[in-house]
Amino acid sequence: MNTFSNIKELLRALNDGRDLLTEMFKKRKSADYKYEYALDLIEHNENRIQYLIDRSVIRQNGNNLEIDDLYLQFFEQVLEANEEINTSYINENLEKVKQNIDYYFNEHNEQRKYEYLRVIKNTLRKIGVITLRNVVDLKRNIDNTFKSEPTFKNKKAKLINLDNKRKDITKLIEQTESLISEDDITFFKTATDEELNRIIVQLKLQLQKCTHNLIEIERQVIDFLNQIQQQSGVVEKLRQIKYLKDQFRLEAETDIKQVISINNSVIFEPNPSYPLKLSLEYLQTSEEAFASIKKIAQRQKSGIKLSQPVADIISDEYLETQIEEEIQINLEEVKNGFVAGSYNLFDFVMNYKFGKKVTFDERVTIYCQMVSQYETVFEITEQYSEKEEIEFAMIYPK
Amino acid sequence: MEVPAQTSEIFKILSKGQFISSNSYDKAISTLYNVLDDEQNFENLYEYFLNINFILEKGDGYFYFSRPENKIDLENKIDTAFRWIDYVDFFKTFDNSFGAGYRFTPSEILVRIKTDAELETKLESLKKHTGKDNHKDILDKALDKLISDSFVELENPITHQYKVLTSFKYLEQLILTINIPDDVRNEIPE
Repeated sequence: MNTFSNIKELLRALNDGRDLLTEMFKKRKSADYKYEYALDLIEHNENRIQYLIDRSVIRQNGNNLEIDDLYLQFFEQVLEANEEINTSYINENLEKVKQNIDYYFNEHNEQRKYEYLRVIKNTLRKIGVITLRNVVDLKRNIDNTFKSEPTFKNKKAKLINLDNKRKDITKLIEQTESLISEDDITFFKTATDEELNRIIVQLKLQLQKCTHNLIEIERQVIDFLNQIQQQSGVVEKLRQIKYLKDQFRLEAETDIKQVISINNSVIFEPNPSYPLKLSLEYLQTSEEAFASIKKIAQRQKSGIKLSQPVADIISDEYLETQIEEEIQINLEEVKNGFVAGSYNLFDFVMNYKFGKKVTFDERVTIYCQMVSQYETVFEITEQYSEKEEIEFAMIYPK
Repeated sequence: MEVPAQTSEIFKILSKGQFISSNSYDKAISTLYNVLDDEQNFENLYEYFLNINFILEKGDGYFYFSRPENKIDLENKIDTAFRWIDYVDFFKTFDNSFGAGYRFTPSEILVRIKTDAELETKLESLKKHTGKDNHKDILDKALDKLISDSFVELENPITHQYKVLTSFKYLEQLILTINIPDDVRNEIPE
C-alpha cells in the first residue's frame, strides 16, 4: 500500500479529488456511492480514482466507493459534523496529559521539559474543545433520535445508549476536573506558566458549561424516555382493547363497566342547553335587542301575503227605507179645541176624536197631562164628578 | 370566598363537558388555564363549583368537570367510550405518536389512506359513528367531534393544521385504566 510521503502530497491529492470527496462526504449516510458516478465527476479519469484508492483515501467495495474511515472521521471532526460521540478520545487525551506530567517530572533538561509542557497545554485545550463538541453532538443526536427515528424499539434503544454516553462524558468531566484540581496539584502549582493557567481557567469554564448542558440533557432524555414509555404503553393497551372490542368481548372480559360507571365526568353527558327566557325589560329597553328583533322579524317575513278578510256585499233589503207611522197626540191642539168649546175637560177628552183609538186609561192620562200643562188657561172648579170609579175635578175653559 | 373574574367563562366551557387545556392555541383558553393553575384559585373554585354539584378535576395539563353522583346510564357511557376507543385507535394507527402536542392536517391522513389499507379499513369502520360515506366526510366529521369535545383544535385555518390538546391524555388515561385480566391478555395475538 502506498502512503503519502509528506503533507504536501496529501494536500495535493485531497485537492485533486475535492469534487469527488465533497460529493461523497455529502452522501456518506447512504452507504453506496457508485463507481460510475465517481467517474462522471472526475471526467472519466480512472487514474485519479485509482490514485486515491491506492493511498487509502477511498475504499472500493465491489462497485461501490466510500471514504476511508480515517479521513471521514477527520472531516467530520474538523467540520463539527460528527454524529458518533467518541468518549474514548477524551479518555485518551486524559491519559496523555497524565503521562506527559510524569515525563515532565522525570526530565531535567529544561528544553525537553518545555516540550512536555507544550504537549500538556495542547492536550488540555483539546480536551475542552472535544468535550464541548461531544456535548453538543449528544444533544443534537438525542433530539434527532427522538424526533426522526421511525422504529419504535430502536428509538428507545438508541436513547438509552445515548444516555449511557452522557454518563460516560459526565464521568470523564469529573476525572478531568479532579486531574487539574486534585490529583496532579503539584504539577499545576509548580509548572508556573501564564498560558497554562489561562488554559486551565478556560478548560474549567468549558467543563462547567458541559456539566450544565449535561444536566439539561439528562432531564430531556428522561422526559423523552417517559414519553416513549407512556406512548408505547398506550399504544399496546389500545391495541389489546380494540381487539377485544372488535371481538365483542370487551364488556364481558374486562372491568370496563366498573371503570366507566365510577367515572362521572361531565364529558359523558350530552351537551346541556339552558333555555332561559329573555327578560322582558331588556327586550323593551335595549337598543341592541330591538335591532335583533328587527333582524329576526326581517328573516321571519314569509312570501305568503295574508289575505285581508273582505266583508260580504250589503244586501239591498238593508238599504230600503221603511216608513213607520205613529200617531202622536198633540196636546196643544186638544187644548185649543177645548178652549173653543164649553165642555168640561174630562168629558171633552173622553169624547175627543183622536186620529187613532185611545183607551179610557190613556184618556185619563191625557186629562192629567193637560191639567198640569195648561193650568193657567183652565178654570179649575171645586166641583167633582165621578165616572167609572174615577173622581175628577170639573174643569172649564176660562 | 374570592372567586376569579373568569369564573363564568370557566363554568361555561367546563359545564359543556369540554376541557381547558394548557397547550391551547386560543389565547382565551390558555388564560383560563393559567387562572385555574393557580393553587389558591383552584381551591376556591373547587369549593365554589362543589356547591352546584360539579367537581373541578385537574389532570396532567388539563381541567374538567365531573359529578359527585352518576347522572348518565351505563349503556350510554359505554357507547361514548367505545366511540372514543375507535377514534383514538384510528389516529394512533395513523401515527403512534399521535398525542398531546401532535400536529397534523387531514390531507396527510387522506394521502396515507391511499397506501395504508389498515388505516383505510379503520376509517371506514368509523362510518357507524359519523353517518358519512366518503373518506373525507368521515374524517371531517370525526375531527368535528373531537373539536367539539375539545380534544383537538384547528390551529391554522389557512393550512388546515390541527393540533392535539393536552386533554387527549384523558382518553389515553381512560384506556390505561381499563384492566385486562392476564388470561385474556395472553389470548390476544401479537
